[in-house]
Amino acid sequence: MTYQERAGEGGDTTSTAADWLAPGRRDQRRASVLAALANLIWPLQAALVAYALGGLLTGGDISPVVVALGFIALGGLRAIVGFVSEALAETAAIKVVQDARSMIVAREAQRAEDTTFGGAGSISALAGEKLELLIPYLTRYGPARARVMVVPIAILLLALWNSWAVALIFVMSGPLIPVFMALVGMAAKDASRRQMDEIATLNDLLIERLSALVDVRLLGAGDAVLAGFATKAANLRTRTMAVLRVAFLSSTVLELFAAIGVAMVAVFVGFSLLGELEFGTWTGPLTPQAGIFLLLLAPEFYQPLRDLSAAWHDKAAAEAVLDDLSAWEAADTSVLLGQGGAATRLHGPASVNLSGCVLPNGTVLPDIAIAPGESVALVGPSGTGKTSALRMIAGLLKPTSGTVTVAGQPLDASIADAWRARLGWMPQAPHFLNASLRHNLTFGRQGDPAQALQQAAVANVVAGLPQGLNTRLGETGGGLSGGEARRLTLARAIYAGPDVIIADEPTADLDAITATTVTDGLLAQNAQGATLIVATHDTALAARMDRVIRIGGAA
Amino acid sequence: MKALWRIFRLILREQPAALGRGAALSFIVLAMGFALLSLSGWFITAAAAAGLAGMGAVFDVFRPSAMVRFLALGRAAARYGERVLTHEATLRALEVLRVRLLGGLLQTSYPRMIRIRGAQALNRLTADIDALDGVSLRLVLPIMAGLGAQAVAFIAIWALVGLPIAAWILVGYVGGAGLIFWQTTRKTARLSRRAEAAAQAFRSRLIDLIRARRDLAVQGRLMAQADVTRAADDRGLMMRLQQDRIERLAGAAFQMLGVLVAGGTLWIGISLVQAGDIAPAFAALGFFAALALAETVAPLRRAASDLGRMAEAARRVSRDIAVPVTAPAATADSAAAGSLDVAAVTLLRPGSTLKVVEDVTFSVAPGETVALTGPSGSGKSTLLLAAAGLHPIESGEIYLGDRPVGAWNEAGLRNQVGLLPQRSVLMAGTVADALRLSAPQSDDASLWQLLDAVALRQTLEARDGLSTLIGPRGDGLSGGEARRLTLARVLLRRPKILLLDEPTEGLDEATAQAVLSGVRKVLPEAAILIAAHREIETSFADRTVSFT
Repeated sequence: MTYQERAGEGGDTTSTAADWLAPGRRDQRRASVLAALANLIWPLQAALVAYALGGLLTGGDISPVVVALGFIALGGLRAIVGFVSEALAETAAIKVVQDARSMIVAREAQRAEDTTFGGAGSISALAGEKLELLIPYLTRYGPARARVMVVPIAILLLALWNSWAVALIFVMSGPLIPVFMALVGMAAKDASRRQMDEIATLNDLLIERLSALVDVRLLGAGDAVLAGFATKAANLRTRTMAVLRVAFLSSTVLELFAAIGVAMVAVFVGFSLLGELEFGTWTGPLTPQAGIFLLLLAPEFYQPLRDLSAAWHDKAAAEAVLDDLSAWEAADTSVLLGQGGAATRLHGPASVNLSGCVLPNGTVLPDIAIAPGESVALVGPSGTGKTSALRMIAGLLKPTSGTVTVAGQPLDASIADAWRARLGWMPQAPHFLNASLRHNLTFGRQGDPAQALQQAAVANVVAGLPQGLNTRLGETGGGLSGGEARRLTLARAIYAGPDVIIADEPTADLDAITATTVTDGLLAQNAQGATLIVATHDTALAARMDRVIRIGGAA
Repeated sequence: MKALWRIFRLILREQPAALGRGAALSFIVLAMGFALLSLSGWFITAAAAAGLAGMGAVFDVFRPSAMVRFLALGRAAARYGERVLTHEATLRALEVLRVRLLGGLLQTSYPRMIRIRGAQALNRLTADIDALDGVSLRLVLPIMAGLGAQAVAFIAIWALVGLPIAAWILVGYVGGAGLIFWQTTRKTARLSRRAEAAAQAFRSRLIDLIRARRDLAVQGRLMAQADVTRAADDRGLMMRLQQDRIERLAGAAFQMLGVLVAGGTLWIGISLVQAGDIAPAFAALGFFAALALAETVAPLRRAASDLGRMAEAARRVSRDIAVPVTAPAATADSAAAGSLDVAAVTLLRPGSTLKVVEDVTFSVAPGETVALTGPSGSGKSTLLLAAAGLHPIESGEIYLGDRPVGAWNEAGLRNQVGLLPQRSVLMAGTVADALRLSAPQSDDASLWQLLDAVALRQTLEARDGLSTLIGPRGDGLSGGEARRLTLARVLLRRPKILLLDEPTEGLDEATAQAVLSGVRKVLPEAAILIAAHREIETSFADRTVSFT
C-alpha cells in the first residue's frame, strides 16, 4: 500500500497531485473512452431522424415503427454505455478518496502533536468534505475532457462530409471556447482557494466554540459569539458566491457561443433549403436530410465543450484540495516513538532514567533516576516541565538532546510500544472517546473493569449513571464532576495491571477525602510492586511518596 | 419529509422575493428552451418543404429567425439570472439557518450542552446545512418550473400539432418521471441514513484519534483507532457506491425516458403525416419539442438520489434550530442588591429522581465569602449550577438580589452571576482574545489588572504578554495557568455574585493563596460562594456551609 510506505517515511517524500490521483487510473481511462463512445451514438440517431423527416418531405416510404424503434434502441445503447462509463469513473474516484483518507489517518496516527496545518477540525474537514470534492472532478471532469478531444472532431468531419460551410462555422467558433475557458479557469482557481480557506477557518472556529458552549453561555458571550459566527458565515457565502458567479458566467458565455454557432448553422441550412444560397456543399444543393442532420448535430458539437466548462469548477476545486493535501503533507511534526500499537511487555526492571534531557522549548530538566518499585513525586512551579518529563518517559515526546533510559535500555522506536504496554497513564486533561464508558475504560481489551473502578473509588458513580458502563460521556467528561472524571482516568490507568504508573496531577479537582482515596489507590499499586511517578502540586500526595524530585527553579 | 417541508418553508420565509423571481426565471428558461428547439425544427423542415415546392422566395424567413435569435440569447441571459438569484437567495437563507442553529445550541439545556460533541455539532452546522441547499435549488424549484413548462408545452403543442402528440409528451414525461423519482427515493432514504452515520463515525473517530493520540498511544490503541477510523470510511464509501449505483440507474432511466418520449413522438408524428393529418414541419416541431422537454426532468436525477440525504439533514437540523425566544418580563438593568439567598432548596441528580441536595438554606451577603464543603458528589457543584440558572430547582427558591433565579432573563442573569465551573475550555487565540470573550470592550490596562489578581502577570510577561498564543483547547498553558486564566475571564465581567467551583485546582499553595486574595481585591463587594475541596479555600472563607 502506497500510503503505508509514505507514512512510514514520515513525510520525507514530496508527492505530487498525480500521486494522490493515481489509484484507479486504469478505470479512469476506460471511463473516458466509453464516455466519448456514448456521445458518438448521437450522430447515428440524428441520421435516422433526418432520414425520416426528410423522407416525409420528399415522399419517401418511411416506416414509423422502424424509425421509432431504431431511435429508441440507439438511445438505449447510449444510456447503457454511459452507465458503464459512470460506474467505472465512480469506482476510480472512490478509490482515490479512500486511499487519501487512509494516508491521512495513518500519518496522523504517527504524529506526536498537532500540526501547524490546523487542529482536529481542519484535518477532519480535509479528510471529510474536502476530499469529497475530488469525486466530481474525477467523475465529471475526466470524462468531459475525453469527450472534448474526440466528439467535436468527429462531428466536424461529419459536417465537412455534408457541407464545407457548416464545417467552417464550427472551425471558426469552436476554438474560441477553450481560450475563454483557460481565462475563466485561472479566476476560478483563485476563488476556490479563498473559499476553501474560509471553510477551514470556519470549521476550526466552530469546533472550538461548540466544545465551549457552557463557557460561552456562562460568560454571557452568546450574542458576541453568534455575531462573530454570523460574520464568518457571511464571508463564506460571499466567497462561495464568487466561485459560483465565475462558474455561471463562464457557462453563460459558452451557451452564447454555442447559441450563435447553432443559429449560424440554422440560417445557412434554412437559406440553402429555400434555395437562396447555392454554395457550401460539394455536389448540388443541400438535401432536406442533410440539412436536418446538420441542425441536429450542431448543438452536440458544442455540448462537450460546455460540459467541460461546467466541470472546470470541479477542477478548480480539486486543485485547491490537492494544494491543501500538499500543505498538510508538508507540515512536519515530531513523530511518536513506536507505532502506538499493542505489544508484548518489554522485559527488564521497571526503572526510568532521564539524563541531560532538554525540552523542545529549551528548558533543561534535572537528571532523574527512578528505581523499580519506587514512588516518586515530581514537584515544582506550574509550567516548568513536569508534564513534559512525564511525556518523555512514556515515549510521547522526544528530548532535543539527552537520553531517556527505560528498563535498562535507551527508549527508542523499537521498544516504545513494548515499554508503553507496561505503563498506566493518567493524563492531566482527560479526553473521552466518542464511545461507551466501558470502551473508554478498557479500550476494547477483554475483562471486567469492576475491580479497577472499585480501586479508583468510582464504582458507585458509574452505578449512578443513567446507563451505567454503557453511558456515553462528553469529550472532556461532561456529565461527571471533575473529580469523578479524574477517578475514571485512574481506573483506566490501573485497569490493565501496569507495573509503571505515570500520573499527571492525579489529585487535582478532588476534595481531601477523595484525594486520599485516589492516593491510596495509587499507593496500593505501588505496594504490589508498580513503580509510581506522579507530577503534583498536592503536598499531601507528595509527602506520601518515597521521594520528591524538584523540577524548575529553587521554589 | 415533514422536516424537509419545514426547512423549505423556512428558506422561503427568509427570501420570498428572490426565490419567487428565481422560480419565475427557471420556468422562463425551460419555456424558452422548448420554444427555441420547437421553432427551429419547424423552421428548417418548413423551409425545406417550401424550397422543394419552389416557394422559397415567398417564405417568411425573417420573423422566425429573429425569434430564434431572441430565444437563444434570452435563454442564456435568463439562465444566468436564475442561477445567481436562486443560489444567492438559498445561501442567504441557509446562512440564517446556520446562525439560528448555533443559537439553538447555545440555548439548549445544560445536561445536553455538556454532552454535545464538537465534531457532531459541527457536522450539523456545516455538512447538514450544506446538504439543505438542494431543497430549494434541486428539488422544489426545478419540479415547479418543470411542471409549469410541461403545462405550457402541452397547450402549445395541442394547439399547433394536435392532442395525441401533446398528450403523449405530457403523460410520458410527468408520469415516467414521477415513477422513476418514486422508485429511486424509496431505495435511497435508508442508504443515506446509513452513509451519513458512517461518515459521522469516520469524522468523530478521526477527531478522537487526533485529540487523544497520546492517551491512545500509551494504551497501545492508536493503531486500532486508526483501523476503526478507516473501517468507518470503508463502510461509508461502500454505501456511497450503492447510492451512486442507484443514482446512475435513475440517470439512465431518465435518459431512456427522454428517448422513449421522443421516439414515440416520432412514431406518432410520422403516422399522422402519412395519414395526411399534419404537415411534416409540425411532426418535426413535436419531435424537437419532445427533445427540448427532456430538460424538465434532467435535474430530477440529482434530486431523487439526494432526497434521502436532504430529508435526514432536515430532520436533524430542524430538531435543534432555535425557537426565537420571547423575552421574559425581567430586564437586564437590575436591582443593586447583590446578595445570594438559598431558601429550603432541594435539587435532583440530572435525569433521575435521586435527591442530591435536600432542604438547604443559607445566604451570602455582599462582601462575604462562604465555602461549601463536603465530599465529592455531595451536590456542591449542582447547587452552584442551580444558582447560575443551569439546573432546575425541585423545590425551594434561590434568590439573586431580590429576585428568584427563574425571574431573570439570560442577559441580566449573566451580568449578575459569574460562575467558574469545574472545567472550562479555552479556545485557540491570544490571551487577550480569551479574556475579551467575556467583556469585548475591556482595554489592556484592565486586562493586566485581572492578570495581576490571578498571579499570571509574571508568567505572561516572560512570554508575549497579552499576545501570548494559546493553542486549541488551552494547549501551551499548564493546567494551573489555564485555570487562572479562566478565572480571570469570569472576574472580568465583574459579577455581583461570584460562584467558584474548586477555583484553586492545580495551583500550588502560594499561588492559590495569592489568587484567592486577588479575587477578593478585584471584587470587594461581591457575594462569593466557593465549592471548596482544599483547606486553603475553606480557611480563606468567612464562613463554611457543610454538605454531607
